[in-house]
Amino acid sequence: MSTEETIATEIEVYDLDCAGLLCPLPVYKAALALAKLEPGDRLRLITTDLGALEDIPAMTRQRGDTLVSVDREVDRQTFLIQKGTQP
Amino acid sequence: MTTTTRQIRLSSDRSARRFEDIREMLPDVDNPSPMVRLNHVTGARELDLYLKLEWMNPFGSIKDRTAFYLIEGLRRRGELEERELVEASSGNTAIALAALASLAGTRLTTTIPDGVPEEKKVILRMLGAEVWETPDDLCPVDNPKDGAIALARSLAASEGGSRYTATRQYESEDNIAAHYETTGPEIWQQTLGRVKWFVAALGTTGTVVGAGRYLKERDPTIRVVAVEPEPGHRLPGMKSFGEASVPGIFDRQVVDHTVVVGDDAAYAATTEIWRRESLMVGPSTGAVVAAIEQVPTDPGDLVVAISADSGVKYTSYFEDILGEEGKPQI
Repeated sequence: MSTEETIATEIEVYDLDCAGLLCPLPVYKAALALAKLEPGDRLRLITTDLGALEDIPAMTRQRGDTLVSVDREVDRQTFLIQKGTQP
Repeated sequence: MTTTTRQIRLSSDRSARRFEDIREMLPDVDNPSPMVRLNHVTGARELDLYLKLEWMNPFGSIKDRTAFYLIEGLRRRGELEERELVEASSGNTAIALAALASLAGTRLTTTIPDGVPEEKKVILRMLGAEVWETPDDLCPVDNPKDGAIALARSLAASEGGSRYTATRQYESEDNIAAHYETTGPEIWQQTLGRVKWFVAALGTTGTVVGAGRYLKERDPTIRVVAVEPEPGHRLPGMKSFGEASVPGIFDRQVVDHTVVVGDDAAYAATTEIWRRESLMVGPSTGAVVAAIEQVPTDPGDLVVAISADSGVKYTSYFEDILGEEGKPQI
């Protein structure tokens, strides 16, 4: 198994669907979910409130997490967040 | 102003009273919360200073009145049925709402600032409430110091608004009505109309506005004093409008004096009230009593101050200020 493959298998990706929830509820739930993950784990977060486009990046900066990607569709956004070292 | 009908008690003779339902114990003009004179902490000011002990209410605080009126208002408007309640609270409103919600066949979800004492959170969970601890700076972008209020609003509005009914203590006229119809008339009756100063802490502002408005209508010379904490305070239930949003129900016209009190003065007064008056009050009572030092009263004036809750829900806070005091020094 290559190093790349080893790393790929060690990163856990968790899903959190916050469709239909208004801010700051997605921020609250995302923070709760991230608190349960190990550093380096990833959270795939789905939201529909456009406020999340500002709130989620700000939250990740505040918490010291990494916002790996943001996919915008017509009616929803998908954030991929990698947990940093803080709880 | 709305009117709420209460059940008639079995007997008005206090020695023969019994209650068929704890809600009959809620205070009103026929069953007022007690007022007790402070005889030691006022020093040489020669005031007639009375505390209205709201912690003698069945769920332990002045918010018993508010919660009852909020729920009755929802029921009257047909907004209560088959929904859970949601409210932002520093604890006391939520405790009363949780208790009354159970009796109404529903449940409370409360968003509560994460600095609130653990005692209150445990009480809420014992009453069956769901407790969402909320940092004040929850909203990273739009960041008023009201994360719990913002979260309660989003819970109420999410999922098409189908699950929760928001009781909205910061916006509901029912909050004002609770104090206009009960707290104010009780004070007027208990003082035989002699009250000159009414002093209460600012939080939702329901007490100050509702009771203050009633008293001023009875006697326009009565002065209403609102007590506000300093920004960054540790006085649960109180709001500094230097950092928190002003509630929609606040009517500044009712207030004659606003006094800002710091944590040190509030906790010093709280300790003095415990030790010199043997009244086990909460920190906001200390703030209110400390504020009276800054009010231009005349000798003999009758002052009524609200003691919103007791100190038993704040023992973890008191532990911090006591340090090693009261432990044997070896």
